Amino acid sequence: MTNERVIHGVVGSVGFAVGRAVRTFDPLFVSFNLKLRPDRVRKEIDRFRQSVEKSREQLKRMQAELRRASGRESSFLIDAHLLVLEDRLFVDRIIEKIETDSINSEWAIQLVSDDLFQAYDRLDDEYLRERRGDLEDIVRRLLHNLRSTPLPPFKKLPYDAILIGKIIPPSTLFELRAQRVVGLATETGSPLSHTAIMARSLEIPAVMGVAALPEVSSGDLLIVDGDRGVVICSPSEETQAEYKSRDRDGRRIKKLAGASASAPSVTEDGASVSLGANINFSEEVRSAIACGCESIGLYRTEFDFFREGRQPDEESLVADYSLVLKTAKGAPVTFRTIDVGIDQKSWDGINPNLGVRGLRFCLENTHVFKKQLRSLYRASVNGRMRILLPFVSTVDDLDAACEIIMDVRRELDLKRQRYDPRVPVGVMIETPAAAQTCDLMASRVDFFCLGTNDLIQYYLVIDRSDQSVVHLYNPFHPAILRCLHQVYALLGPTGKSVTVCGEMAADPPSAAVLLGLGFTSLSVNLGAYARIKRMIRSVSMTQLRELAGEILKMQKPKEVEDKVRATVYRS
Amino acid sequence: MIMREREVVIGHRLGLHARAAAKLVELSSKFQASIVLFRADPTNPVEADARSILSILLLSAGYGSKVGVRASGVDEEQAVESICEYLAG
Repeated sequence: MTNERVIHGVVGSVGFAVGRAVRTFDPLFVSFNLKLRPDRVRKEIDRFRQSVEKSREQLKRMQAELRRASGRESSFLIDAHLLVLEDRLFVDRIIEKIETDSINSEWAIQLVSDDLFQAYDRLDDEYLRERRGDLEDIVRRLLHNLRSTPLPPFKKLPYDAILIGKIIPPSTLFELRAQRVVGLATETGSPLSHTAIMARSLEIPAVMGVAALPEVSSGDLLIVDGDRGVVICSPSEETQAEYKSRDRDGRRIKKLAGASASAPSVTEDGASVSLGANINFSEEVRSAIACGCESIGLYRTEFDFFREGRQPDEESLVADYSLVLKTAKGAPVTFRTIDVGIDQKSWDGINPNLGVRGLRFCLENTHVFKKQLRSLYRASVNGRMRILLPFVSTVDDLDAACEIIMDVRRELDLKRQRYDPRVPVGVMIETPAAAQTCDLMASRVDFFCLGTNDLIQYYLVIDRSDQSVVHLYNPFHPAILRCLHQVYALLGPTGKSVTVCGEMAADPPSAAVLLGLGFTSLSVNLGAYARIKRMIRSVSMTQLRELAGEILKMQKPKEVEDKVRATVYRS
Repeated sequence: MIMREREVVIGHRLGLHARAAAKLVELSSKFQASIVLFRADPTNPVEADARSILSILLLSAGYGSKVGVRASGVDEEQAVESICEYLAG
């Protein structure tokens, strides 16, 4: 008699894992800087005060626990934290900032704490300089509490863990990756959410959108099957044995795929395709280059940027970006400037996908944008850098961004700081507006990337994280094919290159469609690299062009998909 | 306005570190007078509110360094007295 139960979700990241459930909370470290309407300021101050109060309660509880466990000795550290929460230099100044600048608490906290951090960093006394850690801790707690979410109580995990939760932010997954996290299952989210993208780049099997997940509790034995998109609760002995044997097969296949990764990406009939790798973290560059990737086609910099839960300082960014370029050993690296707004439900309930995202965020937070651009340019002398602007939707926005880039360069010139003035700047085509007007943007930039995930979401009006519509997300929809065809036609005469770096490029059938439509530069996550390389080497470009002509005349996504699959998997 | 002021040499081995600073805030809060700690370095004069742990830490007063204590208010005399006593260790 066994209690085995299979609950369904959708594939987030392939592979499978056996482990015990660990439920996580959803701490979101990224804070949004927002201007407030003057009539919202009062409420915002209340919101800040509540977060202070909540932090105080948590610390008091912690202090009591510490006292019980180890006497008065160690609880004094908490005293210091509590005192910071009562400190006028801190709390009153934040409230003052909210009031005078009409900004949200997160922003005010950042401004005030940044000043304090700088003051700490100037101290001669090393011991006291180290005390900035206490302040960092408090800032982190306040930011968490502003989102009304508790801090994750993670320590070393005692067993192979499968993280479960409503949402698991990408940063959390990253922070816990070394802590025996073998798999992941979330109630919400889809294969296109950043959490899933992250899981794939860390090669952690993941199943998203598992509605029945609340029934699972921490400690339950689970199998996350990222190939089938299911979670198996309390698996029987037989099921466990079956998965063990699959593990052996899996390793064999991986070895075979790895062997073909170093072969050139040329089709059967001799057409060469450029194949780059998408990465989320600077650490991934090394493995990408080791796999034989010719370029880093997309480095999503926001994960590293916000990794510590707050904005990094310029010097450490310069060091990080320089290291990325050096590690790439001369291969071009496309740095996409921070794209915030994805996966993070903003606190006032606005859909971030249609709000302040990508370049829009950067144009409203120019101090953040400039800091990143300065760091990028300063690092640019260490290799081949390209800068990519996300979520561009109007020529005006693009002009504003280009002007800021020029400002940053002028600033560096004045300071006589070295940078590569030829760093190509490009636009990410991921909104319908950009797809329709990319030719108008062409004279202003050096290259384009095509982000199919967002493009499809906006074209087909499907929220990437909404389970009730995710099955409608379909790259074979005639609207998408026509859109891609049009982008190719618009950009052709401009002579500007375009690289496709969405999930569409990472799935062999849809990647074959891209090749057929004329896109011969693709960039995919490392997990998909070998299989796309194999696909490229097994198809004929002539045949794919014919295929593209045929599917452009079709009416239904299903017809298109069947036709494509039959061509790609003909043997 | 009357004010009390006195200089004292920090006697805590680690200087005004987190624990000592926390104690100082606690102690200062017992008085009604406003209390300021300062370092009379003419090139870089620094003042700290004795009830603000962050500003005390930023005073960066190490072991053996000299700081001034200034208080003004009804109980300024006792305030300066007990704070100097505490700082001297």
